[in-house]
Amino acid sequence: MLDQTRRYFFSRMATGLGVPALASLMPAADIPAVPVVGPHFALKAKRVIYLFQSGGPSQMDLFDWKPGLANRRATELPDSIRKGQRLTGMTATQASFPVAPTMYKFAQHGQSGAWLSELLPNLAKVADKITFVKSMHTEAINHDPAVTFFQTGFQIAGRPSIGAWLAYGLGSENKDLPAFVVMVSQGTGSPADQPLYDRLWGAGFLPSKYQAVKFRSIGDPVLHIKNPDGLPADSRRRFIDDVNALNEIRFEEMGDPEIATRIAQYEMAFRMQSSVPELTDLSKEPDRVFELYGPESRKPGTFAANCLLARRLAERGVRFIQLFHRGWDQHNELPKRIPGPARDIDRASYGLITDLAERGMLDDTLIVWGGEFGRTVYCQGKLTADDYGRDHHPRCFTMWMAGGGIKPGVSYGETDDFSYNITADPVHVHDLHATILHCLGVDHLKLTYKFQGRHFRLTDVHGRVVKAILA
Amino acid sequence: MRLTCTFLFSLTLLPAAPMEFNRDVRPILSDRCWACHGPDSVNRKANLRLDVEASARPKMAAMMARITSTNKALRMPPVYAGDGLTEVQIAMLKAWVEQGAPWQKHWSLIPPQRPATPAVRNAAWPKNDLDRFVLARLEKEGLAPAPTANSQTLARRVALDLTGLPPAPAEVDAFLNDTAPDAYEKYVDRLLASPRYGERMAARWLDAARYADTNGYQTDAERFMWRWRDWVIEAFNRNLRFDRFTIEQLAGDLLPNPTLDQLIATGFNRNHRGNGEGGSIPEEFLAEYHADRVETTSTVWMGLTMTCTRCHDHKYDPLTQKEFYQFTAFFNNLDEKGKVFKYGNSPPLIPAPTRAQQVDLARVDDAVKTARTTFESMVEARQSGQAAWEKTLTAGADWQPTRFQVNHFPLNAIEFDGVNFLDQGTGVGAFGFQNRFTVSVRIKPTAATGAIVSKSSDKEEQDGWGIYLKDGKLQVNLVQRWLDDCLRVESTVALPLHEWTHIAVSYDATRVAAGIKVYINGEPTRMRVIVDDLNQTFTTKEPFRIGAGNGFRFKGQISDLRIYERDLTPRDAAVLATNDSLAVAAQVPAALRSQAQTDKLAWAYLERFAAPEIRRAWADVRDTEHKRALFLEGLPTVMIMREREGAEPRPAFLLSRGAYDRPGERVQREVPASLPPLPAGAPRDRLALAKWLVNGEHPLTARVTVNRYWQMLFGTGIVKTVEDFGSQGEWPSHPELLDWLATEFVRTGWDIKATLKTIVMSATYQQSSRASWDLLRRDPENRLLARGTRLRLPAEMVRDQALAMSGLLVEELGGPSVKPYQPAGLWKELAGGADYQRDKGAALYRRSLYTYWKRAVPPPGMMAFDSAGREGCTVRETRTNTPLQALTLMNDETYLEAARKMAERILREGGATPAARIDYGFKLAVARAPRDRERTVLLASLHHHLDRYQTNRAEAERFLKQGESPLSEGLDRGELAAYTTLASMLLNLDEAVTKE
Repeated sequence: MLDQTRRYFFSRMATGLGVPALASLMPAADIPAVPVVGPHFALKAKRVIYLFQSGGPSQMDLFDWKPGLANRRATELPDSIRKGQRLTGMTATQASFPVAPTMYKFAQHGQSGAWLSELLPNLAKVADKITFVKSMHTEAINHDPAVTFFQTGFQIAGRPSIGAWLAYGLGSENKDLPAFVVMVSQGTGSPADQPLYDRLWGAGFLPSKYQAVKFRSIGDPVLHIKNPDGLPADSRRRFIDDVNALNEIRFEEMGDPEIATRIAQYEMAFRMQSSVPELTDLSKEPDRVFELYGPESRKPGTFAANCLLARRLAERGVRFIQLFHRGWDQHNELPKRIPGPARDIDRASYGLITDLAERGMLDDTLIVWGGEFGRTVYCQGKLTADDYGRDHHPRCFTMWMAGGGIKPGVSYGETDDFSYNITADPVHVHDLHATILHCLGVDHLKLTYKFQGRHFRLTDVHGRVVKAILA
Repeated sequence: MRLTCTFLFSLTLLPAAPMEFNRDVRPILSDRCWACHGPDSVNRKANLRLDVEASARPKMAAMMARITSTNKALRMPPVYAGDGLTEVQIAMLKAWVEQGAPWQKHWSLIPPQRPATPAVRNAAWPKNDLDRFVLARLEKEGLAPAPTANSQTLARRVALDLTGLPPAPAEVDAFLNDTAPDAYEKYVDRLLASPRYGERMAARWLDAARYADTNGYQTDAERFMWRWRDWVIEAFNRNLRFDRFTIEQLAGDLLPNPTLDQLIATGFNRNHRGNGEGGSIPEEFLAEYHADRVETTSTVWMGLTMTCTRCHDHKYDPLTQKEFYQFTAFFNNLDEKGKVFKYGNSPPLIPAPTRAQQVDLARVDDAVKTARTTFESMVEARQSGQAAWEKTLTAGADWQPTRFQVNHFPLNAIEFDGVNFLDQGTGVGAFGFQNRFTVSVRIKPTAATGAIVSKSSDKEEQDGWGIYLKDGKLQVNLVQRWLDDCLRVESTVALPLHEWTHIAVSYDATRVAAGIKVYINGEPTRMRVIVDDLNQTFTTKEPFRIGAGNGFRFKGQISDLRIYERDLTPRDAAVLATNDSLAVAAQVPAALRSQAQTDKLAWAYLERFAAPEIRRAWADVRDTEHKRALFLEGLPTVMIMREREGAEPRPAFLLSRGAYDRPGERVQREVPASLPPLPAGAPRDRLALAKWLVNGEHPLTARVTVNRYWQMLFGTGIVKTVEDFGSQGEWPSHPELLDWLATEFVRTGWDIKATLKTIVMSATYQQSSRASWDLLRRDPENRLLARGTRLRLPAEMVRDQALAMSGLLVEELGGPSVKPYQPAGLWKELAGGADYQRDKGAALYRRSLYTYWKRAVPPPGMMAFDSAGREGCTVRETRTNTPLQALTLMNDETYLEAARKMAERILREGGATPAARIDYGFKLAVARAPRDRERTVLLASLHHHLDRYQTNRAEAERFLKQGESPLSEGLDRGELAAYTTLASMLLNLDEAVTKE
């Protein structure tokens, strides 16, 4: 920032540029257009749409097909599988751990032959565009630390989120919009499922300008973006002109470059006042598009509507777009509660992949889908003929990726017959982060920020790019 | 950062200038070499240490060869380690080696010595010794200080710095009109004496102490630490010495006979987040709390990044992993749980009455005493009356306690056959985890397992509360979730079959198993705890069932079931249990009666049969005592530090890689070896640790503290890295000044107000903040202090001053946190549950440090202006400049309402002409009159908006609807709308949100 204001400061000295010209020198949200780092490699993806599934979707009811479990129904999970690994306090003292096979049918889809549950009929249609990573694992066993881990590479709050790292590292491609945008939707599963927190997309110890701007479906899409009733846009224009004129006078007197920056920020705010409503107004989207994403996409605040908005943000060059969806925490009544969120994401994800592909944007947009952990094969609570629940399971779960930089139609990693342990090609949270960064042309070892005397990284002192799934 | 390094370098590295190890060399070695060749013994490469002189010195030539090698395979630092050394850095190392590689211990670990004040050429400029250090440096750099800021600027600057609020126009005028030579000093003294001073100082301390109104983590429900927050404000206002401030917060509980205030102070190290997430593993988070206390304490008092040593030896500083865990041992000996209560405060906690409540409590105590005295004065009449009454008792006369009784089911020994039960509807026994209650009942079981009473789901191991027999033993279950969110206790003895047994069960709403008391036949009985982990309430929509619950049925007889909405006392339980009627009890000679018989007779007599004045006196005693109990229950609580009972502290272990489940070597309480030792013979406890920090010989405490005050006033610390005084921290811009301030701080008795006064009285502080382009280029961050500081206000000041300018500010010290304006839906969309319920009236206009701080969704208006997030300790102030700030100032209801009220004020108080009013408003906003050019812009703008709103009155009406405060009557709405726009512009000025 200092660099820019200095640049402004001296260029202004030389050329006598006025305020309007100044505006064009100041990029989005004060985030440099010039990358702080990288690209370290040829980048495949210019942006990321990360569809975070909060609560922990059940891998064995959606992706990780274990046909052998049907015969083991209600039998005790063998010690040879559990291996004394820690469980959450919710089931650690359970008297028994009966195997609960999924009650959903699985089939293979596309040329890649990806196995998918009947809960995901639409996603199945684009299976060949997707890479399924079945061997994800994490260390956290409870929601808060686990989500925090995925978002920041550390279980305890305080570090920058992945989007903030990328905003810091790669800057913005759009001078009227922030580099990092977050949208939150409610699942149809259980409405107030798992709480989320603003810090999950915060900047941690990075300057706060790198934190996400949250786009909301109720009230102003961006806080305070709308002028108050009784103050129309032309009055606001005049207002900003006058405030800037006064700030110009002060700048001449005090010489503080921060004043020049503030002038530019008021210009940027004004531009956002028109760019954001334009962006969030879906009324001009053709019916065909709503058809792709499903009827829910017409309802503001749904996952489907947010997916459609994500595409519009992607079109406008927003670097990191993150959607949070909830409703996956099925400790009990899973058969009753999983179809809702599955339906929420099935059509919308299909729509997003298809829409991006049709627009030729899938090649440089990386889509990531997944939660903070998986769920246990053993039943939490009582296993009955038509009911089961599943506890948190960090040792293996499935995520999927599609688009920029990712090899399509691959299923990566293997789990044991119980979907309990990984048997081949484990992918840790840090590895996923390293891989996402890699797709964006960033070496995770080199994206660092010095804080408290240490050069911090998103991947801490870990992380390995999963080369096998790269295009 | 890079800019600053180059900048300092360019100022300091003159050709052949002597290299100073700590200033010039240590930062390079530390940052680029020590991660692999430093203190961390486990990860050290090639068994080479470059952080210790003895091992480094013989390797100097080899080191220089490697860092200058053109062979990539040999070159150090290795390519994979990221950025290599710059040419400048290599040149500096080279110069240092050529000069004999003089070594120094790390500067911040050498206790500060009071430096001699340096000689300066411009002897007229310094106002105090502080200035001589600054000026000496400026003169060395060939720079001259800036002129003194004009009085208005100074009046506003120092008011904002010391009270966090702008001066009222009248205060500015009083200061300007005071021609006495000490006018400024008197003005400063007034500010320091203002109660607003304590609030201003508390704001930064709350950031450091990670204070919040919620527990953090998943549910992030409410907690109550505001009594601690108010203690902090008070401590600053009464200018509590910093050493006492330290000792009371770190170890007030260990002082002899600690006062309530000293206990409240220890809330400092309970402000960290607490996890109550279902299924979380308590040991995991207990380790987290201990680490947080160490990290916060070491950052705040020592500027040490001890957090780095949680998993391994420090990479840069002489701190080992073992020392980290030795330090945790000072903080791990509380009776606390890793899984905290989801809702409210978790033990250890105390009731913490406010000053006003302490007065009220004395009054309530007096009422009890008075009632007791009156009652005792009637002893003779009572005794003779009771004796006479006892003689009149006829067979069968009886009495049972009915005070607080809410249900009575006589049942008359009704038979239960293992199938039948009584459904009493959902209204009976509708208690939750925050309700006190008691159940009293007689049973005669014929089967060893069954349900006596319940308000539970009628399936096994489900939610709700109930009293059961299980294999003859009595079980009390208060259950939200059977395995991990409940209190479940069981008697150690079995109840007899085929016999009548009286049972009383009480619960005291403490949410712990020890809060369940069980009496069998009037005797307290020991209960085995099965689960002691209640986090959510156990209310259900189930009916109250007698003889059924959780899938069980009762076999046998049940009689005389009573439910009370208080937790009855053991004596109550004994009276309920006794089989003796009044008449039977009265037959026993008084001296031979059991306590239950005595109580039953006395209580029955006093309640029902005594003379009216005696009955009234007895009722007074019970009512005043009950009121007192309710008063105590209604008091705010605060979480405190309190050592566990018993002599042996909880053992502490080195945790391998920091993992809670990989304990290694057991460690004892100790301070790091690179710091002075604890005094020999002193008990190794938190009190000793706290005293050690402030004994005046600790090399860091005073430096770190004054450095934060410097940051508060100048925006950047003398050591910029206020949180890191280690090798990776930045070299102080004015080392001698830092040491002078630190030693002065200790010398003056850790006097915070005196230290701040010294700084604000200095010529350095009073300089104009106008920056020449030349100086800006040379010193963009103003580290040399050749000018005053120009800084955007901290978040809370941005809002507070808008409230002050508009006249909306409610100046009231302390109290529960308040919920001012915030856009609707922010809590609900993230956290679920109830949305933010904003307050009404005065609570909307309190200073921002009283704003309710929800960690998961912090107040957006504060976060937009770079407020600390309060998840963990934050001591570094940061400032950004973003469009979201502009949007907030322009469109947030808070600022629009403030603009409207400011406009009303301008119209009422600002004179008759637009020009006069503009001048008045301008002065409200920035404490000075506008220049002609500024007035011209504002006048034109005002006329523009006037034209618009006076022709479009409906628009004006709508525009004026912001905020809850009423519109002043008698003002033209079109004019008011235009002036509101004007006031809003003033609030949006860069100068208005900036301390100049």
